[in-house]
Amino acid sequence: MIEAMNKIKALTVKEGNDILRNRIYLLVVLVQVFILLGAFGLALASSVASDPTLLDQYGATSVLKVGVPETVKGTPLDAALNDQKLNITYYNNVTAAQNALGTSLVAVVKVDPNDPLNISVATDNSNIFYPIVSSKVGTAVNQYSLEEKLKSSGLNSSQIQQVLAPVSLQVVVLNMDKQTKLALNSPYFVEIMYGFIVPFILLLPFFLASNIVTDSVVGERERKTFEVLLMTPVSSSQVMLGKIIPILSFSMIQSIAWILLLDILRVPIYNSVPILLVLFFVGLAFIGIGTLLSMFVDSTKEANSAITIVLVFATFVLFMPLFIKTAYFSVILNFIPTVLIVKMASTPNIGLNMLMYSLPTVLISILIFILTIRYFRHERAIRL
Amino acid sequence: MKFTTITKWELKNTLKSRKFMMIFVLQLSVLLLMIIVFNSFVTNIESDKGIAITPSLNGFATMDVQDQSGLISKYVNPEIISVNNVTTYNTSILRTENGLTTGFLYVQGNADTQIKTGETVNMLVYVDAADPKMSVVTNEANNTAKTIAQSYSSSLTTSANTQNLTANFTQETTGESLPLQIIKKVMLVILLFLPLLLFGNIIIDSIVGEKERKTGEILVAMPISHSQIIIGKSLAVALTISLQVLIWLGVLLIFGFSILNPLAVFVFIFLTSIPIIGITAVVAAYSKNYKEAGIGLSLAYLVIVGFLIIPVLVYISRKSFIANISPMTIVMRLFSGQFIAIPDYLLCLGFILIVSLVSYWFAIKMFARDDITFGPRPGILRILFELLTLKFFRK
Repeated sequence: MIEAMNKIKALTVKEGNDILRNRIYLLVVLVQVFILLGAFGLALASSVASDPTLLDQYGATSVLKVGVPETVKGTPLDAALNDQKLNITYYNNVTAAQNALGTSLVAVVKVDPNDPLNISVATDNSNIFYPIVSSKVGTAVNQYSLEEKLKSSGLNSSQIQQVLAPVSLQVVVLNMDKQTKLALNSPYFVEIMYGFIVPFILLLPFFLASNIVTDSVVGERERKTFEVLLMTPVSSSQVMLGKIIPILSFSMIQSIAWILLLDILRVPIYNSVPILLVLFFVGLAFIGIGTLLSMFVDSTKEANSAITIVLVFATFVLFMPLFIKTAYFSVILNFIPTVLIVKMASTPNIGLNMLMYSLPTVLISILIFILTIRYFRHERAIRL
Repeated sequence: MKFTTITKWELKNTLKSRKFMMIFVLQLSVLLLMIIVFNSFVTNIESDKGIAITPSLNGFATMDVQDQSGLISKYVNPEIISVNNVTTYNTSILRTENGLTTGFLYVQGNADTQIKTGETVNMLVYVDAADPKMSVVTNEANNTAKTIAQSYSSSLTTSANTQNLTANFTQETTGESLPLQIIKKVMLVILLFLPLLLFGNIIIDSIVGEKERKTGEILVAMPISHSQIIIGKSLAVALTISLQVLIWLGVLLIFGFSILNPLAVFVFIFLTSIPIIGITAVVAAYSKNYKEAGIGLSLAYLVIVGFLIIPVLVYISRKSFIANISPMTIVMRLFSGQFIAIPDYLLCLGFILIVSLVSYWFAIKMFARDDITFGPRPGILRILFELLTLKFFRK
């Protein structure tokens, strides 16, 4: 038993040294940090750019340039538009304003001179701030037209109040003492961060790992060291463990590092232990597939092309469920590892059913692992 | 012996290889997969009014709802929030406090009568501050309140005597929305250019492979100039790429992508492949083995991809002239049927010509130097120094 452990240890140390000496691997590990920081920055910027309240908060409203006719100045419509914190430019000439659309103006409000309630808005759809400008102008015009309608409807002031706000929403925040320290408390940011970037970043090391292990068997064959390895008194499962343990542990270390880095960036990851467990099994499956491929192909070059295609399919299976809206898939969706990671990472307390949902992942990866060892034995039988 | 002989050999080699054919077919299947992803993505976004690209997890956040009147709960967006209808107030508060659900929406039992008698309905949302999805639930509750208010206000004002005073509010938009443009145009143009970057391996194989297999000496000893060898090999790759591009164009057209001016699009993609192959040939001519060539190629392609895509994004946000330097911009404008002025074409073609001339000249010069091809190889800094002191030109 101790002897077997020593053999595995020796192999592990040798493979681990090989990986650490691989300059490309180290470079890609470093690149992941930049990917993480870049994705975080992009999510932060796009959340601010698409959220009206955040944009107001950061005082970036000067970019919301809207042209309004000079005649509107001082009317209730003007007040409603100003309430929305738009950067208003008054114009006299409609055609000039229309021409400025897309360059110096994002939207142009036009009012029929004969009928002040006939309002049209032309917006430049290709502007980044189009959704915000459009919703702000829409709100302002709707508010204005509602007020005008109510004024002429003969309703009393309390009735008007009720029409304007039939529902009052009060938010009570519980557990203030345990408040999460989020980088940005916006729904868009939370959705994009937890719903896509977190599982993506945590799985990156394993994508990389499966790429590295494609070299494991075919590389030995190419370097003509495979026969020597098979001659040594080491069993098949020991060889496989020796090859899998170092890369799996390096990947796990990276994932743990990314969880810590995300925490520093104030995107706290909940249930990190169950998540690491899911990642472990996903990693095992990835590495198993990489090793299997390595036994099937004839050269490292072939192995690289093959793994690229496998990874494209893996991306499809793992990440498409995050973007698909279909009711009939929802049962299967619960079992997809990325969906599990999303739910675990963003929920303070998970139920036992979450562990049930991870069972298929565990089973499939163990199956792949067993298949890898079986196939290696078979391969060994042919070679010797 | 002419360069066409080399081209013929290389083409025969490539097309005869079963592995190449397999990769070729697999790439096609990846393309088909991408088309499916692409289509579902576009429909997904369009149905969302083209506003934001967010993941659409079913039941991303959970919310308990107690609303006996049923007035509020039917307005909650089921796509993001998974609603858990409950009757006991205390359990839900506990569940929220313990982090089992993100929030709890409470509406008084007589809400429907309240709203009919003209009273303001109070909605209470309890959220768990320890849950990062707090803002998602609050936002959804807010949206629900807004939807109810809107539908209620409009029903009330139409029933009240408004003397036919209805505002006429129309919205007209110019230009395609940014996320849609990025998804539709940029993704399509990237798909079209993808084959150009998939065949770097062939040129690496045909130049570095000669070095690794030690057949380079024989090739150089043949009665053919170095420039003819490089051009012959590059031409073979260019022809393979053009075949792939042609098939991809056909597949995309069959799947209903609107690509106007397909012939011009094809010509421009083909022309772009020439300088890219040239740059690949430079990397291959300098590299000692596959591994080195692989690293060099990854770095070179990173720069090339950035150079192709960034102008496209610049062009979408502001129609600047200089953005036409990237053939990707021209192709995007071609397939969306825009009018392209002659100077725009000239800028792009001129750039392709310059990069091609410089890269092929460089590749041929490097290949012709025995110290680079067969060693001992001078370092990159040494070559740069030779270039600066014009020594490189004399050799």
